[in-house]
Parts: sequence; C-alpha cells; structure tokens
Amino acid sequence: MSDHRLRLTSAFLALAGAGISGYLLWVRQTGANLICATGGCETVQSSQYAEILGVPVALLGLAGYAALLVTALLRSENARLLHTALALTAAVFSTYLLYVQIELVGAVCQWCLASDGIVSGIAILALLRLKVAQAAPA
Amino acid sequence: MLAAVAALSGALIAASLVASRGESAPTMTAPASPARSSFAGLPQRGAALGDPNAKVTLVEYADLQCPYCARWSTQTLPVLMDEYVRTGQVRIVFRGLAFLGPDSERALRVTLAAGRQNRLWDVLEGLYYRQGAENSGWVTEAMLHEVAGHRAVDGSGAPWIDKALTKSAQAAQAAGVAGTPAFQVGRTGGPLELVQVDSLGPEGLRPALDSALAR
Repeated sequence: MSDHRLRLTSAFLALAGAGISGYLLWVRQTGANLICATGGCETVQSSQYAEILGVPVALLGLAGYAALLVTALLRSENARLLHTALALTAAVFSTYLLYVQIELVGAVCQWCLASDGIVSGIAILALLRLKVAQAAPA
Repeated sequence: MLAAVAALSGALIAASLVASRGESAPTMTAPASPARSSFAGLPQRGAALGDPNAKVTLVEYADLQCPYCARWSTQTLPVLMDEYVRTGQVRIVFRGLAFLGPDSERALRVTLAAGRQNRLWDVLEGLYYRQGAENSGWVTEAMLHEVAGHRAVDGSGAPWIDKALTKSAQAAQAAGVAGTPAFQVGRTGGPLELVQVDSLGPEGLRPALDSALAR
C-alpha cells in the first residue's frame, strides 16, 4: 500500500476516533443518555478513571485524535515521525485503559473498545508507513 | 522516538493512577468494603440503578445513619441486585431522608451530589460501610472526601439538593413512610405501592417484586 493511502486511512480512522471521543465528551458535559449495548459504559464513564487531574479522558482522546489527524494529513518526514510517536503512545495508553476497565472498574464500555480498535489500527498503519518510507529509494 | 513514546505514555498512566487515588472510590479504599464496586456493570443515572426500561421500579427510602438501612444495603441489596436488577427486570431508585440528625443530612447531601456523576450507589455503599453511632460526628469532611471525592463534596451545597431533600421528604410523607428502610414497588412509570416487609432479608421484598413482575 502506498504512503498516500496509508495516510488517508489513518486520517479516516482518526476522524472516526475523534467522533467517538467527541460524543463521549458531549454526553459528559450535557448529561445526555449514553447509548450503550455492553451495559458498562456509564459505570466506566462515571468512574474515577474517566478523568486525569480534572481533565476528562474523552477530552484527551479528542485532542489526541485531532493531533493524529493533522499529522496524518501532513506529508513531511517530521510529521510522519510525530504521527508514529503519537500513535504508539495512544496505543500504550489505550491498553492501560482497557486494563482499567476490565480489572479495576469491572465494566466494559463499547465506545472505549471501539476507540481501542481504532488506535491499534492507526498504530499499525503508522508502523507500516515507516516501513514503506525505509523501503522507498532516497 | 521509542524513548519519547515510553516517557509520554508512562506520564499519562502515572497521572491517571495518581488522580484515581486522589479521588478514590469508596469500595477501593475501605477495608470492610468489597474489593471492587458492587455495582460494576450496572447503569447508574442520578438516584436510579439498573436498566431504565426495567419492567418494575423499587423505591428505597433510607437515612444514612439508620443501621437497618446499612444492613439492608450491604447484605440484602446485593442478593436482590443479582436476582432482579442484573437481569434487567427491576430498577431501584434511592430516596434519601435525613430525619436522624445533622450527620444524616451532611452524608445525604454528598451522596445526592455524587448522583450528578452517576456514582450515587457507590457512595451510598461506601458510607454505609463506614457508618458510625448516630450523630457521633462520624460524617467527617475527610471521610466524605475519601468516599465521595472532592467534586461531590464541593457540590453538596447546591440549591438543587435542597429541593431534592424536600421532594424526598414530601414523597415519603405522601407514601406513608413511617420508618426506614421503607420500600415502594410498582410498574415503571406507573403508581407505586408501599410494601410492608416482614423481613429485611431478600425474602422480605421478593413477593412484592414477583407480584409486580407478574402483572
């Protein structure tokens, strides 16, 4: 797959992730009913792990996805490296949040699982982009 | 780059762990409390616990200083939750009363404020596990912060809580509640009936719940 396609796919995934984070943030701010098929979304979203030092994790997610979207759309080498670093950081943090849901909160949120999947996808694409760049002639 | 990734993700995880300790849930710090929330996996919305579309609603009137309420909440409620709430048949609504004294009202205000974060039932359980002698001053600021977190304590003086307290007291009076804990049962959205319970064990409420579900 070409770098162009990988970038566009990453950007699309980041946009989807931003949509999820934005929705969770909107529900949190307005107190609207949270759509949830897994039954544990409200438990997760109302747990003490849903905020970090007063900042909602959904807001962190929105900012992270926005940064991933911008760095995916930019074509420079620096943007690619920054995108990869952000994607891997997000993947590690998502894994931690998955552990928090299962082991510490005891409930699973479908939106968080979807976000975990998206972040994993973006991280894999970022690594593929590095590989493509290394394979490309200088 | 890997060093930057490790540093950034490590900082995020450390911040999350530190923040969660600072505003720890009651069930994670109290030695007498369960190891994890008894309400894990159950939706909470304000004072309501369980599926909003459950066929039957159980309303509980309680005073946080009432020892029978504590016994019901910590021993009977888990059984009823497994039988009726986790199966989606019944939702439970908490109506707090504060007739036993100032410690009741202080604890209740913070509990209701936690409802704004959809954590009312967790805080309720945490307070019951720490319940002390009536109006002995057991409801301290430090304990409330530990159990409910700073946001709930800070929000406990809000005007909407004054209204909620009045509304609960009026509802209890209208229902004919004479002591706590007291219970009303009915189809969700329909009229509720005060239940005379012979026992504070699960068997005390099963007939009323089963009857409402069969209707």
